[in-house]
Amino acid sequence: MPRGQKSKLRAREKRRQAREESWDPVDAQATVSEEEEESSFSPSPDVKDDLQSSPASGTPSSPQVLGEVHSTTASAEAVSSTRFTEDASDQLEETLNALHADDIAEYWHRGPLDEKVVMLVHYLLYKYQRKEPITKVEMLRNVIQVYKRNFHEIFKRASEYLELVFGLDMKEMDPNRNTYVLINKLELSCDSQEHRGVPKTGVLMTILGVIFMKGNCATEEDVWKVLNMMGLHDGRNHFIFGDPKKLITEDLVKNDYLVYRQVPDSDPPRYEFLWGPRAYSETTKMKVLEFVAKANHTSPSAFPPYYEEALRDEKERAQAKSTARAQIAAMASARSKAMANSLSLPK
Amino acid sequence: MQGSSRRTGTMTDVHRRFLQLLMTHGVLEEWEVKRLQKHCYKVHDCNAPVEKLEDFIHNINSVLESLYIEIKKGVTEDDGRPIYALVNLATTAISKMASDFAENELDLFRKALELIIDSETGFASSTNILNVVDQLKGKKMRKKEAEQVLQKFAQNKWLIEKEGEFTLHTRAILEMEQHIRETYPDAVKICNICHGLLIQGQSCETCGIRMHLPCVAKYFQSNSEPRCPNCNDYWPHEIPEVFDPEKERGAGLSKPSRKSLRPRQH
Repeated sequence: MPRGQKSKLRAREKRRQAREESWDPVDAQATVSEEEEESSFSPSPDVKDDLQSSPASGTPSSPQVLGEVHSTTASAEAVSSTRFTEDASDQLEETLNALHADDIAEYWHRGPLDEKVVMLVHYLLYKYQRKEPITKVEMLRNVIQVYKRNFHEIFKRASEYLELVFGLDMKEMDPNRNTYVLINKLELSCDSQEHRGVPKTGVLMTILGVIFMKGNCATEEDVWKVLNMMGLHDGRNHFIFGDPKKLITEDLVKNDYLVYRQVPDSDPPRYEFLWGPRAYSETTKMKVLEFVAKANHTSPSAFPPYYEEALRDEKERAQAKSTARAQIAAMASARSKAMANSLSLPK
Repeated sequence: MQGSSRRTGTMTDVHRRFLQLLMTHGVLEEWEVKRLQKHCYKVHDCNAPVEKLEDFIHNINSVLESLYIEIKKGVTEDDGRPIYALVNLATTAISKMASDFAENELDLFRKALELIIDSETGFASSTNILNVVDQLKGKKMRKKEAEQVLQKFAQNKWLIEKEGEFTLHTRAILEMEQHIRETYPDAVKICNICHGLLIQGQSCETCGIRMHLPCVAKYFQSNSEPRCPNCNDYWPHEIPEVFDPEKERGAGLSKPSRKSLRPRQH
């Protein structure tokens, strides 16, 4: 497969050069979609654009926001002195976590589709910073334009970039498959009701980890010990988190991520932390254990007792889900029976 | 699981977090960037040694290159402090700002930018900027509103305000230098030493060449008789100190205010 990719790339490069002599948008689109069918890099079974009612792609009116990618292309290409390695495509497909810049830069070769991928990445970042959802229509009108038929590939490649480089996940928001939103993968909760995207939840995951590994209840001292290692100290304002004491005893408690209570019968009063209901609903013991493991360069199974507990928790959750489903199904059928008989069955 | 080898150009969650935070802030001073880097390690990879900042940023930039984005390092024009900004290389328009500002606000910025570039000192008075408010594209803006918008620009570090006058923040220079040089090729000023875009600086009164203040500081460092590199006439201005990060951050130390080595001439 790598061999095949390489000769395909050469052929593509030749065609691209030929095309660059005489650039004609209509021609380019035809050639590009031809190319796209051969491309095995991003397998897209349903390339066909199902949005019939997109606005006329003949008017490439880019908004004032995005100019064209102009002569910086030439200089950027001159600057990038990269070697093509045969392993490039294998690496990309196998280890999506390791992004090797020189391989990518050479492989992506700057053809017109690649330019569109870059433009789309910029556009998506712009929407992310404005905290606005992204619609397919907008993407087509503002970025994709004449390459309408390649939307799927461009979109997929842009999403990959965002995930690999920025840790942002593209999620479909609308069941009609027309609206998307970018989620910060590095954060615990999906909703961005708080702040301006400044992540607090690396800290939260750490605290949940401490609590979990102290038998689901950790003293305030335990928690501070770990926070101190992260540079958070009681009474000292942190440049991102502000007042750490307030964060953990008020903000996170108010948001139901943590429970902060007095140790029973403690005099002088001492305090302890537990997981809050929202933590239970938004994450799992296994996810928290994975986070802790990763930060320590190991895997969850390196902590046998907690790993066992996390596994049990996974099982219980799965069971609870299926029980709930069964209950709902039973209720539904009971209701429909009752309606059919026009009798209300006392339960 | 992830491969264990850490080759250059590999993005991990440490780098991603760093990039996200830098994107949020837009621009940071060097000491803030170092602190940010350490923070990202603590949160995502606490056992790994913190990579040298230069290499760390170089690794991220090698990945960003294909996206026409770069973490650029610059130096403040007034006192030579190193700063870092996440810069978009691909576009001609003032796109980074577009995520925060409306059309008429962006146009106000453009007008201010033009006045700054045309000015002798690199500063445009707010009066002059406010006078062009009628010519703005988009929704009509009143002078009162425009004053607020200028303050917003200053808060977001696109402009710097000094005594009612505005100049470009280093962030804007880093982001827009190419665009400015291409759009206003006749009006732009260039530093004779580093050949970079010059907004604020000193100029030779005889031949007119210009130099950034930090470039002056470096060029004439420990030179008791500074002369213009172009026409050899006496350099008539006070020579600033070279920026020293140790002195700046030392706890309890006030900024040194040593004057230049030679007496001032007018």
